[in-house]
Amino acid sequence: MTCRPLMRVEVVVPPPQKLGVVPQGTRVIAAIAGGTFEGPRLRGKVLPGGGDWTLLRPDGVLELDLRITLETDDGALIGMSSFGLRHGPAEVLAALSRGEPVDPSEYYFRTAPRFETSAPQYAFLNRVLAIASGDRRAGGPIYSIEEIL
Amino acid sequence: MHDGRRRDVLKAVAVTAASALAGFAPGVDAEGRAIRSRPLMTVRISAATRQTFGPVPHGIRTFVPVSGGNFEGPRLRGRIVPGGGDWLLLRSDGVLELDLRIILETDDHALIYMTFQGLRHGSPDVIAALGRGEVVDPARYYFRTLPRFETSAERYAFLNRIITVGSGEARPDGAIHRIEEIL
Repeated sequence: MTCRPLMRVEVVVPPPQKLGVVPQGTRVIAAIAGGTFEGPRLRGKVLPGGGDWTLLRPDGVLELDLRITLETDDGALIGMSSFGLRHGPAEVLAALSRGEPVDPSEYYFRTAPRFETSAPQYAFLNRVLAIASGDRRAGGPIYSIEEIL
Repeated sequence: MHDGRRRDVLKAVAVTAASALAGFAPGVDAEGRAIRSRPLMTVRISAATRQTFGPVPHGIRTFVPVSGGNFEGPRLRGRIVPGGGDWLLLRSDGVLELDLRIILETDDHALIYMTFQGLRHGSPDVIAALGRGEVVDPARYYFRTLPRFETSAERYAFLNRIITVGSGEARPDGAIHRIEEIL
């Protein structure tokens, strides 16, 4: 697989809303308060709003379903949505849930972001698939996103 | 796709050099590691006669039924159960969106539900050649997918827990997808 760096997205997540047990698993909704993104071809801020609809499945895998809006430094809006998976050893996940710093190589946290925009200068985002590696920090996750070539 | 390890090393070196210059390393995780992958399997899909719906609100819809096929990788192999298919949508910007649902049956009789969303696009002459059913070098167009899997078979449960990427090759009688597991 060949890919190249697209951008790094850091989002700020306030304490999430724990909906508890729903038919498919345990639902937790994390609102997005803001953030930043930066890459070789685009940079800007994550707008407040959107969020990550997480579902802890019975097999211990956390499914991620993120929808956020990026605003570039030249004023374009980019919709970003991503499906992802996070799982790892019980003690590692427990440390993450306590907000402790954990080396991201200790767990699996991968997502597949998709983008949409009407801005011609960023239209290439409408035509690519991407893969992200996540790093769950106490204040919110950091996604290192690669464009799949 | 298959010398991914070497590319990873090269990429890691390049990224390290770039981050040393820029003080910033997009495309790697926060600790500076590049995303790595390994081969999962090659899926060969046989398609039946396509069904053209024509213009619908989101683009031009075509359905490609799947009549069979096979898959093989280091950890699993078997056949594609007839049924399912790929719901194609040609968008107004010329990009073809793929939306596939098929069932894999392993040689030890486990059923695996496979879906993917994908994108295919290229220069007009290449897309026209594909449309005429000609064989085109897949390096000449973009054809990438994000396969997902579901299974209840314990020995294949790892498929429930991984993100994967497929590189597609359009063939006159179907498609070949080389799928890598994202590590």
